[in-house]
Amino acid sequence: MLEFIQGYYAYIFLATAFTIGLYGMMVKQNLMKKVLGMSIVAATTIMFWIVGAYKEGAGVTVLDPRFGVEDPGMYLNPLPHTLMLTAIVVAVVTLGVALALLIGIYREYKTLDEPTLLERMK
Amino acid sequence: MKTLQYLLLLAFLGILIVAVTNLPPRGDVTAPVHQHVNPAGTPVAGTYFIQHAYEDTRTPNMVTVILADYRAFDTLGEVIVVFAGGIACFFILNLGRRKP
Repeated sequence: MLEFIQGYYAYIFLATAFTIGLYGMMVKQNLMKKVLGMSIVAATTIMFWIVGAYKEGAGVTVLDPRFGVEDPGMYLNPLPHTLMLTAIVVAVVTLGVALALLIGIYREYKTLDEPTLLERMK
Repeated sequence: MKTLQYLLLLAFLGILIVAVTNLPPRGDVTAPVHQHVNPAGTPVAGTYFIQHAYEDTRTPNMVTVILADYRAFDTLGEVIVVFAGGIACFFILNLGRRKP
């Protein structure tokens, strides 16, 4: 049981956080909360990759002259980290454009609540 | 309507947790992803980058090497994405201001 918790707590936490983000996007009426849910979903997807890249007994992906490169088990796989840097940049840009759109909506309609917004758009 | 959404989310959480607990545990060295034999011939993931990064570019940080050397075109596209996002923000924010 303890081994199960040690091996899977990160995965289960990330699955729960992903569902919380989806809950924010589906159920909440405030557009700002929907954007926050989208951000949570993006962050948990990125963290899932980072957790999956972890390897027991491996260090960070910076060359250590004491170890050399003969034993690649001493370093983590650098490729998922790099790809997630790209994904972080795209997620940040998406969040920025979404926030700018929210500012535009608020200037036009003076509300971010979805039913009120639909009412005022008529 | 809301009950249906909550039930859907709970079912989705259940599916996710079942799927996640079928993965190899975190940090398991014997996981299939770490057993996969690379074209370089070694059974650890990312071996090519680990072994050739310093020889190729004289940079100790492998993530930097992949981001800025092996995948430089990808990073260029990333910069274009950031630029497009900045332009979009600029015009969206200007749009609201121009109206009387």
